Amino acid sequence: MVDKTTKSQHSVLDAVDAGLIVLDRERRIVQWNAWMASASGYALADARGKRLAELFPGAVSGRLNAAIASALDSGVSSLLTHALHPLLFSLKTRSGRRLLHDVTVSAIGSCPETGCLVHISDVTMAVRRERYLRERQNARYDAIVASAPDVILTLDGEGVIRFANRAAVVQFGYSEQELIDKHAVVLFEPGSDWDDAWRRALADERLRQPVELVAHRKDGSATYFSLSASRWQDDSHVFVTAILRDINERRAADAALRAREEEARAAAAALAHLNLTLEERVEERSAQLLKVEEALRQSHKMEAIGQLTGGIAHDFNNLLQGITGALNMVQKRVGEGRIGEVDRFVKGALSSAERASALTHRLLAFSRLQPVDPRPVNMNQLIGAMEELVRRSIGESIRLQMDAGEDLWLVRCDPNQMENALLNLAINARDAMPDGGTLRIASSNESFDASQASIRDLEAGQYVRVTISDSGTGMPPEVQARAFDPFYTTKPIGKGTGLGLSMIYGFVRQSQGSIRIDSQVGKGTTIEICLPRFHGSLEPAVRNEGAVGAGHAGSNEVVLVVEDEDIVRLLVAEVLKDLGYRALEASDGGAGLRIVQSPQRIDLLITDIGLPGVNGRQLAHAARATRSNLKVLFMTGYAESAATGELLDEGMHIISKPFSMDNLAAKIREVIESSFNLDER
Amino acid sequence: MNPPPATVLDQLELDALTELVNLGIGQSALSLAEMVRDEVTLSVPKVALVSRDEAIRTLGEREAKNLVAVHQVFAGDITGRALLIFPEARSLELVRAVIGGSLSIEEIIELEQEALAETGNIILNGCLATIANQLQRNLKISLPEILHGEGKEFFNLAPPPDPGDVVMFIYIDFAVRRSDIQGYIAMLLDMPSIAALKNLLGEYIQRVAGDSPA
Repeated sequence: MVDKTTKSQHSVLDAVDAGLIVLDRERRIVQWNAWMASASGYALADARGKRLAELFPGAVSGRLNAAIASALDSGVSSLLTHALHPLLFSLKTRSGRRLLHDVTVSAIGSCPETGCLVHISDVTMAVRRERYLRERQNARYDAIVASAPDVILTLDGEGVIRFANRAAVVQFGYSEQELIDKHAVVLFEPGSDWDDAWRRALADERLRQPVELVAHRKDGSATYFSLSASRWQDDSHVFVTAILRDINERRAADAALRAREEEARAAAAALAHLNLTLEERVEERSAQLLKVEEALRQSHKMEAIGQLTGGIAHDFNNLLQGITGALNMVQKRVGEGRIGEVDRFVKGALSSAERASALTHRLLAFSRLQPVDPRPVNMNQLIGAMEELVRRSIGESIRLQMDAGEDLWLVRCDPNQMENALLNLAINARDAMPDGGTLRIASSNESFDASQASIRDLEAGQYVRVTISDSGTGMPPEVQARAFDPFYTTKPIGKGTGLGLSMIYGFVRQSQGSIRIDSQVGKGTTIEICLPRFHGSLEPAVRNEGAVGAGHAGSNEVVLVVEDEDIVRLLVAEVLKDLGYRALEASDGGAGLRIVQSPQRIDLLITDIGLPGVNGRQLAHAARATRSNLKVLFMTGYAESAATGELLDEGMHIISKPFSMDNLAAKIREVIESSFNLDER
Repeated sequence: MNPPPATVLDQLELDALTELVNLGIGQSALSLAEMVRDEVTLSVPKVALVSRDEAIRTLGEREAKNLVAVHQVFAGDITGRALLIFPEARSLELVRAVIGGSLSIEEIIELEQEALAETGNIILNGCLATIANQLQRNLKISLPEILHGEGKEFFNLAPPPDPGDVVMFIYIDFAVRRSDIQGYIAMLLDMPSIAALKNLLGEYIQRVAGDSPA
């Protein structure tokens, strides 16, 4: 029975297509299957009871012994591969060739292990198949590389050529042996882009586009390539494969194309030159024309100035007469001790001086030197505030109709000038309606497209439109055409200066707006003023200067007055003292500078702009350098900077001469009381 | 709720385990040195018990995506999986170091898988068998299998692992023939196995402490 089982086990073992060896604890062979007998040449009978080393002298490694020991001692399974143990045993295939095999050693039974199984598997086929596939793949790869029309070089990390294909031999004229081990850099022209391309390829940076290189053949002739290169790595070595494409033909074609382009460009340049000289000639003629035109305009201007000086000098003489006459009387009365009668003359002198002041303001506005004080304005509020004044100016016979647009946008302009303009236009309208009629003042928001804007000489955009319409006599076209000209008036002498509309025109244009006249004889006139929408909010304090006269006195704030005109400085200091402020005085910019740079408390700097030496503007900037929150009030007879649009810094204000003492006082108080703090922003 | 892996063993037990791992790795180094007939240094800078998720995270943070592992299972008083893991990019270098000589790259590629499996087998066997011997226990240890992939694949082999599994994470430095390769041995143990290990470590400590007069 036992014999039968053993026999059947034997036949099973013999049927297995792998080598099976069973060792006992003494490492002696107890089993040995038919496969083993065939591969080793020893029959089971010869092998039984022997140790492996006796059967395979020199072909049993320490590793195998260790594996057997650990299987017997610890139940550990071990793998011994042909890769690391090519010489283990010496077995042959049935055809007599060397057999490649993997060996596994494992324990039989556990705790305790009764023996050990050595299992030998034939991997000859698998290894051969793999080798064959690899060789075939290599052959395919070799065929591609060898037949490639482009030069293919494999370089090691040092840039030394390790492989070169047939195209490389043909292109460079070196033999393959000459190319291998040569440093690639010697193939390329010194200073060509090779070094950079090599560095980038080695750093594995992608070459965005092929690099064009000049290379030298063995015979020294130059040849052009476009290079693409990429880096690769086997286990520890870096390689770069460089592919060089012959671009000599393309370069020749490019050169030809460039030559043709050059010819075309030269022809175009000649034509351009011709055009240019033509343009120059046209320009020359235009310049002459402009010159003539300019001369004509100048003569018009001279004529205008002639009219102006005639008219204004007369007015001024009258006003000066009033002032000097009154002052003479004051002097006389004071000399006589009749102080009580002085007041009347002083008032007369003041009144004349104020009128003279108003006249110069208007002149300055006309010459666009009038200081503008633009601020956000709600046009409806402004018109509303003017309603009463307008009503009184136009009299009972004319009906006033106000059509205020809803949700009117803000604009930014000088509100005083706007009021002036409204009043002027209302008065013009009244004069156009001697027999009564209707004066309509309307406001609205308008969005002008490009064409609507261009007829008004504006940019397309959002505007607030104010129209002043009368139902009066209207204007003939020739009057309309000249209506904005300075000194042009249809009124009898003494009834107007002719400056009204031109002043308004100046103001509106200064505010980036437009003014238009729409008029028909007998049907009335509409004046349209458009001012650009202002995106911002209303400043909180739009103070009516006239209303600020009396009121609270200052509380010892210190005001530095810098003014080279002694009398003006004296007057300003007096006003300050009256207002309850402490005045410091300096007669030029240098003196002012010393004070502002001292630790002296200063709450307000009042300075003339035109000072000898350091001017008022420089003084203010120097003061702001150390006193960033210092309030500044400029006095000026020109307001040139304000008129040229140079904006005043925050906390800086301007008052133009001449000013009345009341106005000065109001302005000073307004400035001192205004809140402004740079640090808080 | 399972206790955090790091606290499953106390400091003394962890020290004992580290000692056993070092003994085992030493045995592996001897076996390898014998085979390659050159000096082999295997050292263990760190042993840590972590959760499976943490092991996956550690591998993800420290290593490239492509990893190679030699995988063996063991059964006995302690049952689990052992994985020798290192970056795939270093596998050729490891094979070249083990094979030595001046084989061409093609030849090395040809031998890579087998040589890797055997090298891993030697290292894991040395380690596992030594630990088992020291703990006076018997382990059946399977033949090696090569895995390629990411850490999370290695730690999610079927049958589905238990969330309470603990990974004994062993950092190893492997130096042979001027190559220096860092890798990991990860032993994935289930809760009963870790409990058995704890007991065995306790007995081991007692034996070792009993041996010394201190």
